[in-house]
Amino acid sequence: MKEFLKGNYKVAKTIEEKKDAEADSTDAFEKKALSRLGGSICFVSKKGFLWKGDSNGSRKADR
Amino acid sequence: MDLGKQIASRLEAATFDRIAGIGLENAALNRPRIKHSILELAEVELGQGDSAVVIGAGPSLHRRESLTRLGKSGYTGTIVAVDGALGSCLRAGVVPHVVVSVDPHRERIVRWFGDPGLTAAPSDDYFRRQEMDPALAADEVAANRALIELVDAHGPRMRAAVATAAAPAVVARCETAGIAMYWWNPMYDDYDRADSISRRLYEANGLPCLNGGGNVGTTAWVMAHAVLGKSRVALLGIDFSYPPGTPYARTQYYPELREMLGDAYEQAYVRTDNPFGETWMCDPAYWWFRGVFLEMAREAACRTVNCTEGGILFGDPLEVATIEEFVHG
Repeated sequence: MKEFLKGNYKVAKTIEEKKDAEADSTDAFEKKALSRLGGSICFVSKKGFLWKGDSNGSRKADR
Repeated sequence: MDLGKQIASRLEAATFDRIAGIGLENAALNRPRIKHSILELAEVELGQGDSAVVIGAGPSLHRRESLTRLGKSGYTGTIVAVDGALGSCLRAGVVPHVVVSVDPHRERIVRWFGDPGLTAAPSDDYFRRQEMDPALAADEVAANRALIELVDAHGPRMRAAVATAAAPAVVARCETAGIAMYWWNPMYDDYDRADSISRRLYEANGLPCLNGGGNVGTTAWVMAHAVLGKSRVALLGIDFSYPPGTPYARTQYYPELREMLGDAYEQAYVRTDNPFGETWMCDPAYWWFRGVFLEMAREAACRTVNCTEGGILFGDPLEVATIEEFVHG
């Protein structure tokens, strides 16, 4: 917040920085809310369709 | 960017948070029942030829009478259905070769197979609220009883492609109905990471990990081309959206969006014109499914033909045709 309060004036009210704990709890709430909107199975970008383990040292998935 | 699209852009991580914990718990419970890998399905004769029809439970399925038309078409290829479409398929006389089940929800999903424990309409309005299977919405208890009989009658002719994350009640129901089960792990995360859950699961049970694209419909499509090796795949009932006129209250994520956004919940819905001159509406999850499907389709070694005649799943590289054109074309 301090970076937005630079200027040739004084602010009458003291503005307190948001506490980390408060931010964490907001993030946690948002994360929990979003998780209720998700799908029934994950999607993993750019990892192919089917992974059958590391055969011959390769980590490629079937496409 | 629209609110719905903004939310959709964050659902890859959110889905992991939603299902990883329960999926892994279910995998541990299901472990003693695992006998066959999904890879064995590729060796089983499931219909003729190099094509498959993948059937989802979207509203176009009954609006376009897709199943009746599929039955009349004389199609002899492979039919892969999602669990939510099983009842509709069997009532229409279409017996899928493979039924796909993914969702780890402990109470809901067994209803798609007929829930032997259901004696009264539940307080959960999940099935009444949506248009996925209208037969289940009318008289839940009677429809459930009829579904149990249908699934029991046809069970031994079908196979289930079951995720290790699936609810144990679904697994028990498949066993009772005589549906042979073939197993796979959902791909939860990047298997190249040292702390990967997918890798840990694979090392524990030896089953391949399948990239599911967020939902069971996309999973069934992946199954058709990446596991069964089909080179032409038609889609029916995979709409990822709601038809014109659907009230918000009858959509899948309505309670959650209402709770999360209050009166602004309507802003989370995305409207899209389709090639049939209709505007369909979707919630953020369905918008995410659509984007993921198109991304995956560009990587797939198969032709994908959208035969839904509805929904919002259009764009490169998907082709559009009627089911009759797909079967006879």
